[in-house]
Amino acid sequence: MIQDRLSSVFFALADPTRRGVLARLATGDATVKELAEPYEMSVAAVSKHLKVLEAAGLISQGRQSQWRPRHLEAGRLQEVFAWLEDYRRFWDRSLDSLAEHLRVLQMQNAGKKRRRSKRVRRTPSVKGGNRQ
Amino acid sequence: MTAIIDVSDVDRPVIVITRDFDAPCELVWKAITDPKQVAVWYGGPGFTNPVCEMDLRPGGTWHHVMQAPNGSRYTINSVFEEIVAPKRLVWRTVKDPNRNPPPPTSLNTVTLEARGQQTRWKLVTLFDSIADRDLAAKMGFGQMIGMGTDRMAAHLATLQGAEDHG
Repeated sequence: MIQDRLSSVFFALADPTRRGVLARLATGDATVKELAEPYEMSVAAVSKHLKVLEAAGLISQGRQSQWRPRHLEAGRLQEVFAWLEDYRRFWDRSLDSLAEHLRVLQMQNAGKKRRRSKRVRRTPSVKGGNRQ
Repeated sequence: MTAIIDVSDVDRPVIVITRDFDAPCELVWKAITDPKQVAVWYGGPGFTNPVCEMDLRPGGTWHHVMQAPNGSRYTINSVFEEIVAPKRLVWRTVKDPNRNPPPPTSLNTVTLEARGQQTRWKLVTLFDSIADRDLAAKMGFGQMIGMGTDRMAAHLATLQGAEDHG
């Protein structure tokens, strides 16, 4: 049993034939025979791919006709894209904050340097005085 | 500057995010490896990090609890795999069975590259569930992100066209 739904979708999308099937179904429902047409593989081989897509919830089978056309379940794909979008947003937000953190750090460092350089300028005259 | 997701690498199933910072490498390195500093920025505005413990050595753990503005807490546990100061940090996230659906685990590599006065921060995320099954990056996740269903369908069609020609 596939526990991780995202994983099952990733797995389903990992194969070019399966992506091709999804692309075809995005233009409308199609039977197994129609889906197998562009590929140099048997209907049985294409059926195996369809089983993977179905297990991932990416396609469904019509029950009304004897040809049982396959249908794209776009919602499941959207779920994965939404997750990836969340991932991107997470880093976008984090990196905004990191940039601000680095800016503040550098301002503080610059301030310390200025204070140090003032001390450095004063120091030689004192030392010079000691040497005399 | 916003993060850019790069999915142009067709050989490796990865998601790449890059960002340039106006700071030297050493400073950026400390900001991403010092847990006190990580707790400041991780998650972004509105997020807090009640727990951030890093044992910065290969095999060492990174135990992290992030709190969202709405109070939800997320535990993120990782194990460091590689630490090369100040330019390369690799960690692997550990499966969290308490979250539903559990987020995919991933191998994360951050590299820092000095570019004049700036530092280019680059994160390469290799999701295990993709990696194991060899998802081609040309699937175009990044391009598809945020698309509506109709545009997604059209995009799937163009992807297929690209493969026919490739």
